[in-house]
Amino acid sequence: MSTSKGVSVTERAKVALNDEFLRNAVKYTTEKLRDGKRQASSEQGNWEEWRERGRQIRLHTISHLDYYLNQFIENAKANGVQVHFAATAAEAASITLGIAQKRQARTVVKSKSMVSEEVHINETLEKEGMESIETDLGEYIIQLAHEMPSHIIIPAIHKNREQIAELLSKEAGETLPPDTTILAGFVRKKLREKFLEADIGMTGCNFAIAESGSIVLFENEGNARMVSTVPKTQITLMGMERIIPSWDDLEVMATLLPRSATGQKLTVYMSGISGPRREADSDGPEEMHIIIVDNGRSLQLGDPDFQELLNCIRCGACLNACPVYRQIGGHSYGGPYSGPIGAVLKPALQKNVAEWDDIANASSLCGACYEACPVKIPLHDMLVYLRNRKVKEGHKAAEENLGMKGYAYIMANPKRLRRVLRLGRVGQKLLLTDNVIKAKIGPLKGWNQYRHTPGLPAQSFREQWHSLDQELQQTRREMDETIKARLEKERTQRGKGGSHS
Amino acid sequence: MSEQQQAFIQMISNRLGRPMPTEKPPHPFKGAPDFWKSYELDLEQRIELFRDNWAKAGGHSHRLSTMAEVKQFIVDHAQSLKARQILQQNQPELLALRLKEQLPTCQVTTWSPGNRDELISQAASADIGIALVDQAVAHTGSIVVTSSGNTGRSVSLLPTVFIAIIPVERLKTRLGETLATFDGRPRKQFPAGIHFISGPSRSADIENDLTIGVHGPGVVFALLIG
Ligand code: SF4
Repeated sequence: MSTSKGVSVTERAKVALNDEFLRNAVKYTTEKLRDGKRQASSEQGNWEEWRERGRQIRLHTISHLDYYLNQFIENAKANGVQVHFAATAAEAASITLGIAQKRQARTVVKSKSMVSEEVHINETLEKEGMESIETDLGEYIIQLAHEMPSHIIIPAIHKNREQIAELLSKEAGETLPPDTTILAGFVRKKLREKFLEADIGMTGCNFAIAESGSIVLFENEGNARMVSTVPKTQITLMGMERIIPSWDDLEVMATLLPRSATGQKLTVYMSGISGPRREADSDGPEEMHIIIVDNGRSLQLGDPDFQELLNCIRCGACLNACPVYRQIGGHSYGGPYSGPIGAVLKPALQKNVAEWDDIANASSLCGACYEACPVKIPLHDMLVYLRNRKVKEGHKAAEENLGMKGYAYIMANPKRLRRVLRLGRVGQKLLLTDNVIKAKIGPLKGWNQYRHTPGLPAQSFREQWHSLDQELQQTRREMDETIKARLEKERTQRGKGGSHS
Repeated sequence: MSEQQQAFIQMISNRLGRPMPTEKPPHPFKGAPDFWKSYELDLEQRIELFRDNWAKAGGHSHRLSTMAEVKQFIVDHAQSLKARQILQQNQPELLALRLKEQLPTCQVTTWSPGNRDELISQAASADIGIALVDQAVAHTGSIVVTSSGNTGRSVSLLPTVFIAIIPVERLKTRLGETLATFDGRPRKQFPAGIHFISGPSRSADIENDLTIGVHGPGVVFALLIG
């Protein structure tokens, strides 16, 4: 699936450098999303109180996850749902395949889901001769091009209108003009046919409500509604930590999530699905499966430093806020999740500190991710914990510890970072990766979307950082005192292991 | 409880370092913060806020006084849009409009129980879908519709144009007021599909250019009655 395989970083950068369109588009999107969030959260008012409430609800749920997940399962089953359990991604894939084969499915329509990307579901189904179609507009375009999404909110951002017109013309068997309305109109018609002929619809799950056994989906296009309305069988892949106790609690999540992701008051569609269709209903799935996926999540439970990772609502605000991410893009994170959350989640899900690399660590030392996070996950602290564990396990040379201080100083200020990056060849290389920025950002695809790109090898970054560091010897100083004090205060106040503070 | 479920839950309890609570854990932070729960707008403010939000999302709204005006609105728009197929929910207020008689050149279909294949294909080719909504929310500019034998999910989703009729007394200030009606509702009365809709279907996937009506309706009318 990777088109970049075997292509050197320099070559990739060269291609990206020539793509002015892409560069502008990425910048435009990230800034728009960030500003939108700022506006929406200030419009809502009392944003801090909402954040605190969101944090409390997530802390409470995760620290009683056994109770609430069990309650969810019992209620979902009573609603007529068939519930499955997957300890690993491979298990989730084989359960999905098993259902599809039993239903003798030929066509599967999918709305975007991060879990399904962890699980590589398209590949699994296609290997068995089933058609698996992404129905989100951008994802569909990328699938036609046999490429990877280059941006989470706008996966086809690296394609301009003309290129999209060419791709869709091939599909249409006639020449379509490069006009957004006409192109989207063609996709609407084409995918409408697919929705109608599909045997199975697959969705992710933004929240699962324990008290009623419902799953809740946030989206703007309506494709998640389509896949959960038209096909006779629905399969929902759900991370085991998606639970909230009640519909009451959903108000808080619905207030925080769209505002944090794209600055919308609510996504165009928010759907609560509680089991297969009722007997009299003429639409909705006749059979509904929920696959509850662990895949490394449970490793965070009971780990005081990382349990709060499970509070994440996948809004992407930490990406938009991160100066490093905005400068160098999502390339360097490697894996389905990028930005500050990806930097922590990737090694944490595997409990493998060797996976953790410096560039990821660097992204959060300024604390901007924490400030942006609607459920106040202390990502910056977690990066420090990861680092400490890595040092303990001897993965890191002591001298590198020193380097990080200077790095924190640069990263704390985007302007400073840009200036530094402009200095030399090294900086230029880093900037270039911005042109192929790949991120998980908003509710359009947002929390249920992702990108997967080969990351820059950690080694090359360390080399780069070394020379960058040389230039900074003169100006090195510690993180801004006020920021440091604030983080320190937060750290001591924070309840560990999911207790209420 | 299946063995697998038991093992999965047991694994979580083990990680959390205690047995699974047998009683509902006290949840002092349930729902929205207290200051928010007392936020309430009067009817005219609610209507104004709803219409403002709906318009910002790209929807159209009209304030009408009676169902007779609703009928006139639908007939006028069906004619000017040259609609050939209309799909309506099986709701007495809609049936009373007698759209079939008013629009003789139009095929008017009414949703019904147990007629899956035919109704879904009707919905897919319908120009206009019409529904009386269960509830609406001013603060987010949303309408709420639910599924049943007489009210299909497809009606608000597959047609090109969707007309939502909102009796103003169903318009609430906060999202939480509508969500609260689902907490504790008995399973028998719990709809399989609950849908909040806050404007036309949209996407910005082609060159960041906002496109309307990618999969769901691109034109949405909210008719506030009363
Ligand atoms: S960690 Fe990032 S993606 Fe997760 S909730 Fe916080 S800001 Fe959103």
